[in-house]
Amino acid sequence: MSPKKQNEEDPHVSDSDTDSTYEDSSAADDDDGDSFGSPSESESEPAAGDDSEPDEHGESDSSGLHQEESDSSEDEVAPRNTVGDVPLHWYDDEPHIGYDIKGKKIKKKDKLDKLGSFLANVDDSKNWRKVYDEYNDEEVELTKDEVKLVRRLLKNRAPHADFNPYPDYVDWFKWDGAKHPLSNAPEPKRRFIPSKWEAKKVVQYVRAIRKGLITFDKPKEEDGPYLLWEDDSGLTEKSNHLAYIPAPKQRLPGNEESYNPPLEYIPTQEEINSYQLMYEEDRPKFIPKRFTSMRSIPAYENAMKECFERCLDLYLCPRVRKKRLNIDPESLKPKLPSRKELKPYPTACYIEYKGHEDAVTSISVEPSGQWIASGSSDGTVRIWEVETGRCLRRWDVGEAVNCVAWNPLPDVHILAVSLGQDVLILNTHLGDDEEQKKIKELLSVDTSTPSDDSGNSATSVRWLQDDKHGGIKLKFFKTVTAVEWHRKVLIHHLSKKLTQKLPFKLHGLAVRSTFHPSRSIFFICTKQSVRVYDLLKRKLIKKLDTGLREASSIAVHPGGDNLIVGSKEGKLCWFDMDLSSKPYKTLKCHPKDINNVVYHRSYPLFASCSDDCNAYVFHGMVYSDLNQNPLIVPLEILRGHTSSDGRGILDCKFHPRQPWLFTAGADKLIKLYCH
Amino acid sequence: MVKAVKHYRPPGKKKEGNAAKFVTRSQALKQLQINLPLFRKLCILKGVTPREPKKKFKGTHQTYYHVKDVAFLHHEPLLEIHREIRVHERKIKKAEAKKNLERAKRLREKTPKPKIDRIIRQRYPRFVDALGELDDCLSMVHLFAALPAAESKKIDIECVHKCRRLAHEWQAFISRTHKLRKAFVSVKGIYYQAEVEGQKITWLTPHSLQQVVSDDVDVITMLNFLQLYEPLLGFVNFRLYHSINLKYPPILDPRLEALAADLYALSRYANANVNAVPSVVNSEASQVAESEQGDAKPKRDDIEHEKSELRLAQLQHQLPTNEPGALMQLVEEAASEEEVDQDTRECKNLFKDLKFFLSREVPRESLLFVIPAFGGIVSWEGEGAPFQESDQSITHQIVDRDSQGHKFLSREYVQPQWVFDSVNARIILPTVDYMVGR
Repeated sequence: MSPKKQNEEDPHVSDSDTDSTYEDSSAADDDDGDSFGSPSESESEPAAGDDSEPDEHGESDSSGLHQEESDSSEDEVAPRNTVGDVPLHWYDDEPHIGYDIKGKKIKKKDKLDKLGSFLANVDDSKNWRKVYDEYNDEEVELTKDEVKLVRRLLKNRAPHADFNPYPDYVDWFKWDGAKHPLSNAPEPKRRFIPSKWEAKKVVQYVRAIRKGLITFDKPKEEDGPYLLWEDDSGLTEKSNHLAYIPAPKQRLPGNEESYNPPLEYIPTQEEINSYQLMYEEDRPKFIPKRFTSMRSIPAYENAMKECFERCLDLYLCPRVRKKRLNIDPESLKPKLPSRKELKPYPTACYIEYKGHEDAVTSISVEPSGQWIASGSSDGTVRIWEVETGRCLRRWDVGEAVNCVAWNPLPDVHILAVSLGQDVLILNTHLGDDEEQKKIKELLSVDTSTPSDDSGNSATSVRWLQDDKHGGIKLKFFKTVTAVEWHRKVLIHHLSKKLTQKLPFKLHGLAVRSTFHPSRSIFFICTKQSVRVYDLLKRKLIKKLDTGLREASSIAVHPGGDNLIVGSKEGKLCWFDMDLSSKPYKTLKCHPKDINNVVYHRSYPLFASCSDDCNAYVFHGMVYSDLNQNPLIVPLEILRGHTSSDGRGILDCKFHPRQPWLFTAGADKLIKLYCH
Repeated sequence: MVKAVKHYRPPGKKKEGNAAKFVTRSQALKQLQINLPLFRKLCILKGVTPREPKKKFKGTHQTYYHVKDVAFLHHEPLLEIHREIRVHERKIKKAEAKKNLERAKRLREKTPKPKIDRIIRQRYPRFVDALGELDDCLSMVHLFAALPAAESKKIDIECVHKCRRLAHEWQAFISRTHKLRKAFVSVKGIYYQAEVEGQKITWLTPHSLQQVVSDDVDVITMLNFLQLYEPLLGFVNFRLYHSINLKYPPILDPRLEALAADLYALSRYANANVNAVPSVVNSEASQVAESEQGDAKPKRDDIEHEKSELRLAQLQHQLPTNEPGALMQLVEEAASEEEVDQDTRECKNLFKDLKFFLSREVPRESLLFVIPAFGGIVSWEGEGAPFQESDQSITHQIVDRDSQGHKFLSREYVQPQWVFDSVNARIILPTVDYMVGR
């Protein structure tokens, strides 16, 4: 190989990366071979390298390497080994690898041990492009161009970069300049007559089309929207399928779904953790979150899922029209007359009777309505003038008074007082002399005939029984007062000075008792029921079931067929005895115990008083027509009393003639409410 | 071989009671001779739902359908069309297997398409009925408009684009006729409530962010619904546009469409055609209008027949300058005053003399819908906007950032929530609580 060629070719191959090329070329300078086309001559060069082998060992390597580099085309330079295409393992056991051009043995090089070669490899940054040539027993370093060439080959492209596999076609024949046809033959006739077969085919098609054997594709229809509901005003046609039930609309979002809800909507971390413990069905589907500004709201991750769930609901859920009663709550209210039409009734406090030093437990109004008696737990009984509020008389009975009651006869002014275990009957010294005389006679007869009692005091009559006096209230129609006991009831005929013992057995504690206003019928109220006895026939007529836990008071309508029962749980029951033994109406009006209930004697009024310091006034009309139920209208709440150690109004009474209400409070006052 | 009957029924005696009235789903499938997915699809399209018989004679775990419902499906032409489609698909498969691609292509083009319009008419005999059940339809279409088209999830681009277009057309109508009543920004999206022909329609628009299609959702079912909802909304829109004398489908300015300002393009279209141009007079705006006029012309020809000559002359006269003439305005006022109710008038005049500008960070789409619906004029930062930020007549600028650098003294800077609160309260609220950075 000529050195010139070498020099020419070297820079052409690579200028940058070969370090040994120039050295090599200098080494090859002494060698002179002219042609590089023949392999024989090219092989002279390694021989030259071999010549210089003894002095420059490394040189030979580089020269070989140079060879490889230089021949980017293989045919230019032959390898220095001349063994040819024989299996190389033949030389495995030999000390040489082959022979050079002159027939000399080429010795195997000493191989570096593994560590050394590894270290050398590590140090050499160009190690990756070195290839071991087994045939020549040397390492070859690939140049950049060679690497590119390999890469191109790997990509199945032509190895040379400047090789164009698709060159533009250059037509060798110049068509445009040709004046004459290529062939001199005349045009054939068939080119001028219409084809017979084509005509036949056309006729065939035409016939097929006419017969309808061939159909054409219809032009595509545009199915855009059009005016579907043109005129649906007069649409009344009945579809014959089942009634369509529209799906219920989705719930509208609440505050909690806002992007910036109030703080109380946002669950704490603990709450969120507790959701994890719940069953999946119970877990809330939406957890409110807070974003300070609108730009920070992220995409909602469950949007698709919720839409899908709605879809499932729409097509999988059976739709049933729930019949919901759509009743206007206003229409359910009974038509009550307005309060204005029901006047008069007590509305405002008119007089306060002051004087008692402790809670006033009981009051009673004289039948004429001029006087009012009151008993207090300070141990006094007082008589007041109603219109002025003057205290007329005062007895010191020395014991807390439970109950006071006037004689219902207007000309016999006797007052019955129950205190502790005793019942006192007091002469009030009212009325003219004649009446006074009568009373005295009545009472003096008393004193003269101590029937079965041990003794009697100056102004009182006492039947002191073996039984305990536990009575609350004494009252009777016709000059007789009754005291009731524990479990047994005794009736005292004041005129006869006799005491009867009721022959009935009571179930439970008797709480209150009262008499029928016109007939000899006796009502006893126990805690849970009211029993009605006929005193003359001495038998039980009726038993009324109150349904209350603990009744506390009872009052009978002046007509005698209706009664009200107040209870400790604040309920008021109205019984219509002709109707049933169950309450006709139960009014839950007081939050605390009802202490007393009372009817007005002439006006259609009744009242209840309770420990919550209120007294309620109701309109309670009873019709003579049996078909008409009693009419009950709440009228007024009377306030004014104050509570003292949990007790409010202890007693209330109506004025016998006027629509006035007296109330006795635990705050030592008696009040008169007028219309 | 006669099957053993469980309960003896004398010959000639018919079934009675629930057993005669209801069939289970598998029985229905057998009767209709279709598979379950097709049955589901038909049920969705026809609005057939399961029933609850008083006595579940085949057990409580079964789904029951009414016999009449099944018969109703049985007579449905869609059933026949779907059978044809199946046959066609087989032919296509065969043609493809034989490498007869041309035939396959022709067959594919010729595949019969189910038509929904008859079903829609059947389900909603009156327009009001359709409006009353539009809630789910609108929510779904708006959701799909925000979905990414995914080959794997069978949501194709065309479907998404169509949904988007329909949603915008609907919004443009609502905004144009001032029918919007309430708006509520929630975490799930923005709820809107409009009142059209006495029907309160509520729908949910997802926030304009990329939605994720989760795997636990059966997209095919949703697409079945969409197959009904898409034409339904199209028909409804057609009817609504018809009612305000607009051509449907609207032809939009391609430039604005490319800028994804569809809604604005639509509102411009509506304005140009009805010629109730709210005075959007800006140098740039008029320029845009002029460029738009070219394609606006043919549309106008359609309406020509309906409008009187005088009116048309005025219209032609007005449009080049894009300014509402005095007379024109009078006509417009008179026409609109008598037709609208109190509520609409109130909504129309809420933001009447206000001019809004939206900053970059503000959710543009919803505000572009809400503000014009209440009579305001709105612009945004970006190309194709009717007026620029530097416009002195802007009264409110809507910003949603922590601090505003340069401030114009002539306008107020408020948060977007101010718009929604004002809209719901129907008064222009004081802006103190909605300042920047609050």
